[in-house]
Amino acid sequence: MTARASGSAPGAALAGLVAAPVVVGLGYSAAAAIGLAGPAARGLSLVHIDRVMRDATVWRGLAWTIYAAALATALATAAAVAVAIGFRGTGIGDRLARIAALVPFPIPYVVAAAGAVLVLGQSGLLARLAAAAGVIHDPSGFPPLVLDRPGLGFILTFAWKEVPFLTFVAVSVLATRGQQLEETARTLGASPAATLRRVTVPLLWRGLAPAVVLVFIFIAGTYEGAALLGPTDPLPFAVATYERYQALDLTLRGDGFVLTLLGLILGLAAVAVFEWTRARAERLRS
Amino acid sequence: MLAAAACGHRAAARDATRDATRDATRGVTRGVTPGLASAAALARMPWDSVVARARGSTVRWLLWRGDPAINHYVDEWLAPRLAMRYGITLDPVDAQGPAILNALVVEREAGRTVGTADLLWINGETFHNLRREGLLAGPWARSLPAAALVDTASPIVARDFGEDPAGYESPWGRVELALIYDSTRTPEPPRTYEALADWVHAHPGRFTYDQGFTGLAFLTGLMIHLGGGASRFTGPFDSARYVAASARLWDWLARARPDLWRHGAAYPQGVAQLEHLFANREVDFAMSYNENEVVSKVRDGALPATSRAYVLRDGALANAHFVAIPFNAPNAAGAMVVANVLLSPEAQLEKARPDGWGDGSVLAVDRLPPEWARRFARLPADARQVPRDTLARYAEPEASPRYSELLQSDWRTHVRTGTTEHPSAGGDPESRTTRPALRSGP
Repeated sequence: MTARASGSAPGAALAGLVAAPVVVGLGYSAAAAIGLAGPAARGLSLVHIDRVMRDATVWRGLAWTIYAAALATALATAAAVAVAIGFRGTGIGDRLARIAALVPFPIPYVVAAAGAVLVLGQSGLLARLAAAAGVIHDPSGFPPLVLDRPGLGFILTFAWKEVPFLTFVAVSVLATRGQQLEETARTLGASPAATLRRVTVPLLWRGLAPAVVLVFIFIAGTYEGAALLGPTDPLPFAVATYERYQALDLTLRGDGFVLTLLGLILGLAAVAVFEWTRARAERLRS
Repeated sequence: MLAAAACGHRAAARDATRDATRDATRGVTRGVTPGLASAAALARMPWDSVVARARGSTVRWLLWRGDPAINHYVDEWLAPRLAMRYGITLDPVDAQGPAILNALVVEREAGRTVGTADLLWINGETFHNLRREGLLAGPWARSLPAAALVDTASPIVARDFGEDPAGYESPWGRVELALIYDSTRTPEPPRTYEALADWVHAHPGRFTYDQGFTGLAFLTGLMIHLGGGASRFTGPFDSARYVAASARLWDWLARARPDLWRHGAAYPQGVAQLEHLFANREVDFAMSYNENEVVSKVRDGALPATSRAYVLRDGALANAHFVAIPFNAPNAAGAMVVANVLLSPEAQLEKARPDGWGDGSVLAVDRLPPEWARRFARLPADARQVPRDTLARYAEPEASPRYSELLQSDWRTHVRTGTTEHPSAGGDPESRTTRPALRSGP
């Protein structure tokens, strides 16, 4: 019955195979979170859960992570939609613009983050240019964009890195469904502005939403970029998790597993949103 | 008696050299199954027997691979010699203390009696935790022929963060915590912690420390100084002493905080980020838990050519680093042979060269054959390094790892978040929450 619902038995087996590591990891994390596994496990205990739940720094870090990931995702989405709508023609200019939007695609995330330090840091390229141009007295007068509490460097870097993926999806959505529907609307007398507002944007949003959710999940869970660019306080969630998992004091490592479970809940919530948006997109296509 | 002991050590060195030469002339015998004898059992066997079991085997070594100079020493100097003399294939794999411990815990929980790693590069908290968790094989280290040459009179080499290695790890090198400054930017760097505090206030935004291992060592050294010096931190962890000394440390940091880089609201994640800030002139000091690293960093272009290392006159933390064998090592014999080669005068001398890794030797020069003693004495010096006599004068052994564990935890909970209230930890972290209460020691 399950196999029929998911399409095929091999498909279900494959899905199970993909999910298995997560399920095993979840089980191990749950056991370690209550003191039944992991370093310095001393038997059933709720001390790790209690300590994490009462730790304000964890919740501030989680809030910062959601804020930063949401803002970076929003910026990347806006840029992708702008490129997809503004440069959808077949002319050389439009093609060049679409290619330019895809340039960050092959750059590894850790390289992008390290590059951001070199460009956005207070001794970085922008600071030196600003100092040379006389905008600021010396590079140290440049506003902190790296390891900063608002996370501007982190947000800008990840927005930039995610523009290609979202542009790719947005352009595909418009190319496969957009033109036909827009022409129909125009034939029925809709103005260009109305077509954009009533047809193009809703179509694009519904087709893009699953990808947007995926991008949010990815940014919220990233470690390297958060470690290189994120603030010291609040500590990004992924960094806080890893830090506890690597703590010198073994009795604190169980806290890392509690954070892992919290991160998993956040991820599952986002996956639920993803499934909901995907279902909506499917209904639109049918 | 001393003469006899010296003769014994020289004989051990001769034996090690002869053993290596004889093995080299025999050629390489590949494909020999190393056998699964435990390190403790091997330690009771004649050394020739251990070497025979190791011949032709592969030794997987978990070690930090983040420094090109260390990698070059391991890959280009050590590995070819092991292959040539013993037919041992060295398989270095990148891993550090916390990751090593987590991996071995998982292997133990999975019931893997035959694991994947043969040798580990560890010290301090990692050794303490691995021993506490029963994840190390041994004792075996004292059975190595070259162990007779080790400077056991030095508390820095003979103990690992105040803990007796008890034959469960073999020393490999020693280092000292040094500050790094730019001689053109800071011609007269502060020489004491008090002078450093004055310097920080006089130069707002130009000093910080990292959140990683090196920064923690800086904080530990400062705490030990403020707590009365290294002599008061020998022996087991003392909760009351930690509470008193750490309170002084938090005061020192609270006073310095407004004048730290970014007003103490942000700290570099690790020492590499700190070096980057120093090289880019955002701050005027970097740090290294290897007094000679400045030479290789300048050579690699990571630090300015005018960088210099120095140690504070209030005392500089020094420690030894070791190699150990995990409880489920598939090739303990191979690991022991590698550990013995690492201790040989030839390997220690090569490792100490300032134009290479520049890591300190753990051998007692007075136990070496005269020829090797002369070679060590003739090691070239670099102007960027701290002079050897200065290093020896100010070196202080690390305290119990428990001090560092609590310091890390309390710093993260309170200092990093800018909580004005002082942490007063010192007790069992199982019972601690975000606001630790004063408790007796574990």
